[in-house]
Amino acid sequence: MAVSPMTRASSCSPRTAFALAGVFLLAGCGAPAPERPAGEDAVTRTNCGIDVAVEEPPERVYAAYQPGIEVAHALGLSDRLVGTAFLDAEVLPAYADEQAEADYVPTLPSREGLLETEPDFVISGFNGFFAENSSDRSVGTRASLRELGVRSWILSPLCPSEDGLTDRAIDPASVTVDSVYRDLRDLGALFGAQDRAEQVIGDMRERIAAVEAQVEGAERPTVAIVAPDDDGGFRVAGGIDFSTRVIEHAGGTNAFADLTGKRNIEVGVEEIVERDPDVILTSTCCDAGMTEQDARSDVEAITSNPALEGVTAVAQGDVHPFLFADRAAGVRAAHSIELVASRIHPDLVEH
Amino acid sequence: MAGATALLRTERRTGRIPRTETGGGLFSGGAGRTAGLALAGLLLAAACALSILAGNYAVSLADTVSALTAPAGGEADRIVWHVRVPRTATGVLAGIGLGVAGAVMQGLTRNPLAGPGILGVNAGAAFAVVVAMSVLHVTSLTGYLWFSFAGAALAAAFVYTLGSLGAGGATPVKLALAGAALSAMVGSATTAVTLLDTSALNDFRFWTVGSLTRADTGDLAAVAPATLFGLCLAAMVGRDLNTVALGEDMARSLGTRLTATRVLAVLAVVLLAGAATAIAGPISFVGLVVPHIARALTGPDYRWIMPWCAVLAPTVLVLADVLGRVLIRPEQLQVGIVTGLLGAPFFIHLVRKRKVARL
Repeated sequence: MAVSPMTRASSCSPRTAFALAGVFLLAGCGAPAPERPAGEDAVTRTNCGIDVAVEEPPERVYAAYQPGIEVAHALGLSDRLVGTAFLDAEVLPAYADEQAEADYVPTLPSREGLLETEPDFVISGFNGFFAENSSDRSVGTRASLRELGVRSWILSPLCPSEDGLTDRAIDPASVTVDSVYRDLRDLGALFGAQDRAEQVIGDMRERIAAVEAQVEGAERPTVAIVAPDDDGGFRVAGGIDFSTRVIEHAGGTNAFADLTGKRNIEVGVEEIVERDPDVILTSTCCDAGMTEQDARSDVEAITSNPALEGVTAVAQGDVHPFLFADRAAGVRAAHSIELVASRIHPDLVEH
Repeated sequence: MAGATALLRTERRTGRIPRTETGGGLFSGGAGRTAGLALAGLLLAAACALSILAGNYAVSLADTVSALTAPAGGEADRIVWHVRVPRTATGVLAGIGLGVAGAVMQGLTRNPLAGPGILGVNAGAAFAVVVAMSVLHVTSLTGYLWFSFAGAALAAAFVYTLGSLGAGGATPVKLALAGAALSAMVGSATTAVTLLDTSALNDFRFWTVGSLTRADTGDLAAVAPATLFGLCLAAMVGRDLNTVALGEDMARSLGTRLTATRVLAVLAVVLLAGAATAIAGPISFVGLVVPHIARALTGPDYRWIMPWCAVLAPTVLVLADVLGRVLIRPEQLQVGIVTGLLGAPFFIHLVRKRKVARL
């Protein structure tokens, strides 16, 4: 009698099988075997076209990049973090204590390094972590991790069109704050933290709505997010970068919104003069201790460039320090939108 | 042997390689050669004009002319003077350096696939600069220019010493092998430094793909004397490179002092390629391909090949940069990518063409 659930359970995970066996031992002989088809308990959510199913909330979470790490803390998963990697700046103050407790490495782990921490779930803020041909280090495709029993999640405003591709293949339709809410809700369901997720979403909605109310009806300045390169060129944030949405919610327009080929677009100085943005924000990155103070040299590089003298943002003193971390799609979005609004509408929104 | 004796006599008399012995070029006749070079000079001038006119920010011909002749501080003036003129000048200066350095390298090593990279000069320069940035936190071009030269010179000295060991002295093949070995070794060390120091990584992009948009007029003024000195040295060894092309024994019997020639030639390459790399980063294929074009046009005489390279290479580099501006507008391609795209097929052609490969 006790054998039958074991044999039936061969189609579901061993853990479930042992749990079921335990139930029968407790219930004793003669108890009828309940009909439980495989995976009935599983919670399934779809992320970037991949079904992510968990039988019970994952216990060992690896979080990569700023947005992935901050989402984990926001959902109350700090105790389950077996590793965190690659921060772009200081985490939000609310998570500073939790992050100080977490294992952290400044560079992405190799596939072996990741698997050594024995994660059962990996949250990544950017899709390059799972890309087959990544500029940063990659741990392999999500499918290849799934074969080892490791589930994974990409924050969905950065969904590649196919598993294993880099962020050159992002669906522009997914680049919204609503995608962030959906991620929080889905991850909340997978981790049994629905209430916490709703709380975070409610707080974000409220803060973003407050900013939108303040800037409503105001003129919408053009904003360029500009990172000076060492070769005299610049990398600007294009239309499929999440910062385009941050700028829009904050009452502005991304001066490079029409360029949607990739998130970071390489342009020459002439293109910035040509587009003549009203406001320029830097995109300073990447160190776990980085703050806006570290963006001063980037501001200086832009304001001291004689070719940019006539650009409205430079001429009117509207080149501001800004962190790459604040471009990210994640729980930081409300904070970023408040920050950008205070830069482009200083008369309407307090910093 | 009779042919060689005749050649020796001709060489002593004229300092020139007889055309019948080595094959001539399109413009290899006396007057034709000068006229051809003048024509190439006009082509360079046209390329520069195009480079000053073309760009994402539209400046009309009239505005460009008035910006050049009577700047009044407007947007067009800033674009012309702070973007396009420095960019074009960088292309000219780097192009001269790369083209002539390539010609000297090919003559010195008698290797048609040689470029300024063959002696590990570029790799040495890049490594020294990366160390200067990472360890000593040098960031300005004028600060690391000297590291670039020092790295290039050390690499050349090391390669020359290694290549001179054993029987036969510093043969072209041994020099090329030593250069390739050093490039591989130093390249790995450069990668290691950039991997260990993530802050240096952001500043290293320029050292991966060359670009004409980094240097400003101050930087150009700083490297121009080095380029000029390198050109003088190259001019001094032109005649000796002709005899080296006939083989070492022949060169020696024609009175060429091989060691002195090699030292001067390597010094010229260090200065020319080091200066070009300092202002434009590593740019592939120009130094390799242009000397072949020059040879096809003017014949095998290095005293003509080098001036042709000094005119053709900047033309190629400036035009490649203009292409990079218009190909994927509004984005831009660094000139190093464009020369790579254009030069790679030519390189394959050279490898396959046996006649040239036995220079």
